Amino acid sequence: MTDAVHLARHPVALRGPEPVVISAAAVASAFGRGVEPLLSAVLDGAPGFQAVRRFDVAQRRVGVAATLPGSPSLGDELDRVIGEACDEAGLSPALRAQSPLYLAVHGDPDLPRVSGAEAGRHGADAFARSVAKRSGLSDETARAYTSACVAASTAVADAAAAVARGRVSRVVVAAGYLVDPDQFALFDAGRALAPDGRVRPFSARRGGLLLGDGLGAVVIESAAAAARRGVKALARLAGWGRAGDAYHVCRPRPDGAGLARAITAAAQRASIRAEAIGYVNAHGSGTAHSDAAEAAALHSALGESAETVPVSSTKSVHGQALEAGALVELIVTLHTLRAGQLPVNAGYLGPDEECRLNLVLAPGQTRSIDYALSINSAFGGANTALLVGAP
Amino acid sequence: MIPLVSPNTIGDAPSVRVIATPPAVTSLAGRAEAAGFAVVAAPTWPQSPADIAPPAVAGFVTSSFSPLAIEAARRCFEQLANSMAGTAETEASSTGVIIVSSLGDIAGARHVAQTVDAGTRVGPLLFFQCVPNAVAGHIAARWGLVGPVICLGDERSALDAAGLLIEDVDAGAVLLIRVEQAATADEPDRAEAVLLTASAPAHERSRA
Repeated sequence: MTDAVHLARHPVALRGPEPVVISAAAVASAFGRGVEPLLSAVLDGAPGFQAVRRFDVAQRRVGVAATLPGSPSLGDELDRVIGEACDEAGLSPALRAQSPLYLAVHGDPDLPRVSGAEAGRHGADAFARSVAKRSGLSDETARAYTSACVAASTAVADAAAAVARGRVSRVVVAAGYLVDPDQFALFDAGRALAPDGRVRPFSARRGGLLLGDGLGAVVIESAAAAARRGVKALARLAGWGRAGDAYHVCRPRPDGAGLARAITAAAQRASIRAEAIGYVNAHGSGTAHSDAAEAAALHSALGESAETVPVSSTKSVHGQALEAGALVELIVTLHTLRAGQLPVNAGYLGPDEECRLNLVLAPGQTRSIDYALSINSAFGGANTALLVGAP
Repeated sequence: MIPLVSPNTIGDAPSVRVIATPPAVTSLAGRAEAAGFAVVAAPTWPQSPADIAPPAVAGFVTSSFSPLAIEAARRCFEQLANSMAGTAETEASSTGVIIVSSLGDIAGARHVAQTVDAGTRVGPLLFFQCVPNAVAGHIAARWGLVGPVICLGDERSALDAAGLLIEDVDAGAVLLIRVEQAATADEPDRAEAVLLTASAPAHERSRA
């Protein structure tokens, strides 16, 4: 167990006994479909932000995002990544039909513009069931997570908890966000978008976030279920944690206490000490308050290790994919674990005393990693931590 | 003291102990009981003909979604306080918040879509309330609930998630709020809330 964590008034997190693995992963981003173009970009620290052409941004303060070409369909892109992940995991049609889908999305993209009479068919839950049905997964047990920037990581944590308890053998977790005019207008109105067109996590003079397309799917299952098919896991899902700030509608607790408890719970479930963590894929939105609170959380949860563990926010490269962001980042994290090549925290201009972290600032850094941590925070003070370990 | 149970009791046979008004079997509370939870409080909206519009909440504009969730939560904690006759110490510190909604804030989403389609700017306050997490954060801050915050599209999944949160000690209790705004003019807005704990084990019930 890590001894650097603070557990005042909070009990030790429990988990079921089944080991949990990630047996397959598929992703799409502004850099294209598949993991290779995304990995190439995050390892080079080459951001994908460019002028938005998908819709009119003439009325917006900021007109930049990281997008795939054209106007892809969310449903089609989800079908694609889910199919790829299920194929990679070697799931037969029969096994797919038994597998629940946990889908992280803002909702059915059509809902705001359909008539009242049609609305009932366009709920988030109905959207998840329809995706599951098209993918050959269990549509009866499909569910939709709408928890903003922790939607996908919460889905992963819930899937892991269910598999560890033996409630299910396997869950397919998928997530998707494609930059759209409504969310873009909202983030622009909230002055959340970086006016200089770059995301600069944990950096001096950071000015905000930028949106990015993101889609992902992972197969989370018991180690025994994967072994029965002869499938070698990509990673162990060693630990997971969730905790709230109870602080504000949209601002994080400045001391990062909620996120620190989520990290602590993940470490407890993995039964590891803080110094066993070899890389942190940070939420790192590039906004002033959020990055400082996240740095405080890492120091609170990891103690002295927070000064030395390599940290990067790959949002600086692929942008903020909202409900799908945490899954894209988890997939980057598990490939970092496997290859030992560290993604770059791009856009860095200089140090901020409130963000004393060992940021990965240059390409080409390698490290042998036993455990890697992916953390996320969202509006409402929702925090998650996912710990992956070498298989 | 709210009968929050220790982790080692959670695997015992489920039972139901209703402290608040007994719910109808068609209610969220009834389904929570059927799933094995103890339902500590269970208010609804509308609860009477006087429930025409939920009280306005500073910072939330244009839509009833967030005020409905907040009023359901307020009634939940009011029921809780009444049932405990003011003598209880709550365990709010470990309570999680789950917001359930199929359509989400459909009134807010439609307003944003119409504004965008008209080529005009949306109001800045709409930025933070565009996701259900926002009102969950308001509720968590107001009542000091530091458990996990989760938003889901259907009730069955929410009850399942709540059960795992309690079983794995991510939360000692879960405040589950379901909000469904009217999609058409002839429907009412509806909200329900339940404060859930694990059911008391059989050996404790026999002593009661």
